[in-house]
Amino acid sequence: MFPVLATILLPFAVSFALFHSVVQGPNILPVLSTLIVAPIIAAFLVMIAPEKYARWISLATASFALGLGVKLFLNYQMGISGFQFVEEIPWLKNLGISYILGVDGMSTLMVLLVTCVYFAGALISWNISLRRKEYFVLFSLLVGGVAGAYESLDLFFFFLFYEFAVLPMYLLVGIWGTGRKEYAAMKLTVYLLAGSAFMLVGFLAIYFTSNIHTFDIRALSDLSATGLSVSFQNTWFPLLFVGFGVISALFPFHTWSPDGYGSAPTAASMLHAGVLKSLGGYSIIRVALPLMPDGAKHWLPYLAILALINMLYAAIVALKQTDFKYVIAYSSVSHCGTILFGICTLEAAGLNGAVIQTFSHGIVAAMTFALVGTVYGKAHTRELSKLGGLTACMPVLGALFVAAAMANVGLPGLSGFVGEFLVFLGSYQSGFHGGFTIFQALFPMGVLAIVLTAIYYLRLVQMVFFGPVKDPHLKEEVKDGSFIEILPIAFLLIVSLMVGLYPKPFVDMSNLSIAPLIDNIGGFK
Amino acid sequence: MIQVQAFLPELWLVGSAFLVLIVDLIQKPTSTKTLLKGIAVVGVLAALLSLCCVGGCGSCPFGSCGSMESVPQAFGGFLKTDTLALFFKFIILMATLFTLLISFRYFKANPTHYTAEFIAVLLFSAAGASALTSAQEIITLYVALETLTISSYLLASFMKKDKASNEAGMKYLLLGAFSSALLLFGFSYLYGFTGTTVISEIGKILATQVSSPLLTLAVIMIVAGLAFKISLAPFHMWTPDVYEGAPTPITAYLSVASKTAGFAAFVRLFWVGLSVPALQPTWIGLFAVLAVLSIVLGNLEALPQRNIKRLMAYSSIAQAGYISTGFLAGGQLGLTAVLFYLFVYLFANMGVFLAISIVYAKTGSDQIEDYAGMWKRSPLIGIVLLVCLLSLAGVPPFAGFSGKWYLFGAAISKGYTWIALVGMVFSVVSLYYYLQIARQALFPEPKDPSPIEMNWLEKSVLIICVVFTITLGFWPTPVMQMAQSAASSLFN
Repeated sequence: MFPVLATILLPFAVSFALFHSVVQGPNILPVLSTLIVAPIIAAFLVMIAPEKYARWISLATASFALGLGVKLFLNYQMGISGFQFVEEIPWLKNLGISYILGVDGMSTLMVLLVTCVYFAGALISWNISLRRKEYFVLFSLLVGGVAGAYESLDLFFFFLFYEFAVLPMYLLVGIWGTGRKEYAAMKLTVYLLAGSAFMLVGFLAIYFTSNIHTFDIRALSDLSATGLSVSFQNTWFPLLFVGFGVISALFPFHTWSPDGYGSAPTAASMLHAGVLKSLGGYSIIRVALPLMPDGAKHWLPYLAILALINMLYAAIVALKQTDFKYVIAYSSVSHCGTILFGICTLEAAGLNGAVIQTFSHGIVAAMTFALVGTVYGKAHTRELSKLGGLTACMPVLGALFVAAAMANVGLPGLSGFVGEFLVFLGSYQSGFHGGFTIFQALFPMGVLAIVLTAIYYLRLVQMVFFGPVKDPHLKEEVKDGSFIEILPIAFLLIVSLMVGLYPKPFVDMSNLSIAPLIDNIGGFK
Repeated sequence: MIQVQAFLPELWLVGSAFLVLIVDLIQKPTSTKTLLKGIAVVGVLAALLSLCCVGGCGSCPFGSCGSMESVPQAFGGFLKTDTLALFFKFIILMATLFTLLISFRYFKANPTHYTAEFIAVLLFSAAGASALTSAQEIITLYVALETLTISSYLLASFMKKDKASNEAGMKYLLLGAFSSALLLFGFSYLYGFTGTTVISEIGKILATQVSSPLLTLAVIMIVAGLAFKISLAPFHMWTPDVYEGAPTPITAYLSVASKTAGFAAFVRLFWVGLSVPALQPTWIGLFAVLAVLSIVLGNLEALPQRNIKRLMAYSSIAQAGYISTGFLAGGQLGLTAVLFYLFVYLFANMGVFLAISIVYAKTGSDQIEDYAGMWKRSPLIGIVLLVCLLSLAGVPPFAGFSGKWYLFGAAISKGYTWIALVGMVFSVVSLYYYLQIARQALFPEPKDPSPIEMNWLEKSVLIICVVFTITLGFWPTPVMQMAQSAASSLFN
């Protein structure tokens, strides 16, 4: 029964989703809830179905979700700012909790990102053999949680979905990881939940201090209604910023990240680096800035220094790594620094840059981790000293890795360039409103981080893929990537190219959320 | 007028306890004890069903079988079964039911001749706890409390041949008796000041008085006496030894039913009797200290534990600390949070203890390292350990998370942000030791891959625990509404 079901399910899901994404008609399903519920249903299906269909169910759901993500992106009404596709169900009325989902420009991009990485992750996990069923259950649950976090407009549900995503990550790293996996899993979980402890208390403090007792982010974003005092904002903004920052591996709370990625199975690192990590920057823009603009203006110039340390320090550390995957992990930390730095500028260009960089980093980091995982699966080592000259045996993967490295470095034409350019534009502009600012002083150092990125990526490309073949066994035994391995990586590369070559729709989309926000806050003027 | 509805659940419990004893006399000593177990389960179920008639809440599925115009009361208003009492009774009776179930498995592994006595004493104890929740007067409250605790001493030391169990019973008896004495001493001062033993009258009389050192002393002694019972630090010393040594079903019972009864006493005494301007700052301050100490000590001392029952003892100390934060915030919001959390705690803790007893029956060990590879030996137990323990840690989407959200929310609403912060930070600490168990259960391959079998009843109860724990995290609304109406009945 199940082979029949699976073979019917997959084309059906894909065609339904494609049909849905192209046709602008009335919504048959509430899109946002479906994006959360579909992976959770998939998890249940995987649980009850025989093991060999797990990956098919997962892939079918992922394609369906991707279709929905694209549909959301295409059907988003560009003319109207504010939230669209809103679904609202009262949950606990007298405690001000409602189940509210909705997307604006920024979160539409994020949802698209989630679905892209989900699709690629489902493909890259194709050959998982250890406890396959549980793997796909957790993988699907993880996606459901992350999607929920990006779509929630209620602080309670935002928090719930966020931590919902952390838990499967713990198990994925702990069971399917490599190296010091249990240590890494525990470290990752404790760090992330410690960050969220501050978030939770901050959310409750906001709820009880504001004049309107609600957890609805839309209502709370109106400072004149909430009446949060400046001293309250000055106390809680840095705590919330750090709480969110831990997710984005803000210095000095970043140490979970290299260990976590170093040990995580490939698809888990893709999802975490690509999607979950981006949640930090996203929630600062979504929650911390609009709710506490005065606190933001007071603290952001100082917090920018932390972000800058992120960029530079992680880049320098990446230079010295001897493990292939750790280089990528530190590179991801460094890129998150760029995102946070862009947010700190409090300029339209900088924040737009941060959003685009979040999207781009999500795609590119997922692609890079997919490549590392594939190479590791073939070469069985990640020691840089043992690898070398791999293009000889895996030319396609080598070429893809060079492209991924260039996207990381920020080569024009690939997505990394757009985000970084806008971030530094923002930090440079920040001075025009009132003389010289701290950002103008910091921004040359930020540019230095890009140079360092170029150095360590070129070093990596040279050490792993070019030069003489150090291990003769590799040349004989290792084959190039198969179709199923190349497909997700190529898919992500195409997305990255689309953003790099024609960034306008993406920047416009992001600007729909950023422009009103900056109007509200008023920057450092 | 005596309305029998006011103590209907207790009647069922005591009645079935006597029936168990009598039937045991009649039965042949060699007979299986199935009939006794059946009587006990039916008795507790009947008590649970009778809550429905007592409540007459209007939403009774059997129509208006017992719909009361007023709250049922008996013995001149000394027992009054309001909605608050009903809520507490529900938790206590459910805990008793779970305990019975756990004990069936436990006694399969540790056969005893005294099954009937065990069941009867357990039911007496539950009757005490249940009566405690509706006591409106301090002597009644004390008698009910002693019925609960004296039975618990017996139960804790029930394994006669086991040194640890004997030690547990002895420790519990000595410290428990001491704390009871303290409590009674405090009560006597309270009576001396006010000339009445009715809690609401005490409140009215004290409202007009200014604070005095003796009154403060009375409050301190009452807090200390009751804090022993719910094992708040620094009165928690007995907990780890007793929890480790007592038979597993009794550990479960103490950690849920006994604690719930303790909180019921706290709520009545303090939010009705002593909620006066002269005294409130004193005891709220005391509770703030006790709550923070329990959260910090409970969680830190749990970290190095290797025995799962001992670990659960420290965990239960920390949990009592969390619940106290909601209690000291008080008001509608705080008490609702306390009730909701106790409800959530019931399913999470009982799920864990049922799993512990099933594993113990198979492996004969309570050491955490013997849980290795549980996912392969029994996937259900692996899931139960993961879900219930993480719910205790307060991780979404499990029920413990929404519970903590309300508890700490209540604390913050009264300005105790720092307590909430301490609570949250130490929840993360607690995650470490809860995950250690989950890690053992889920990550490695088992040393001994033989499957762990259980019967359909245990399976379905474990599934119920998991389902409740997950559902209440996402959708707490119905239970929250019940808790709200229960809490508001205190303020009417």
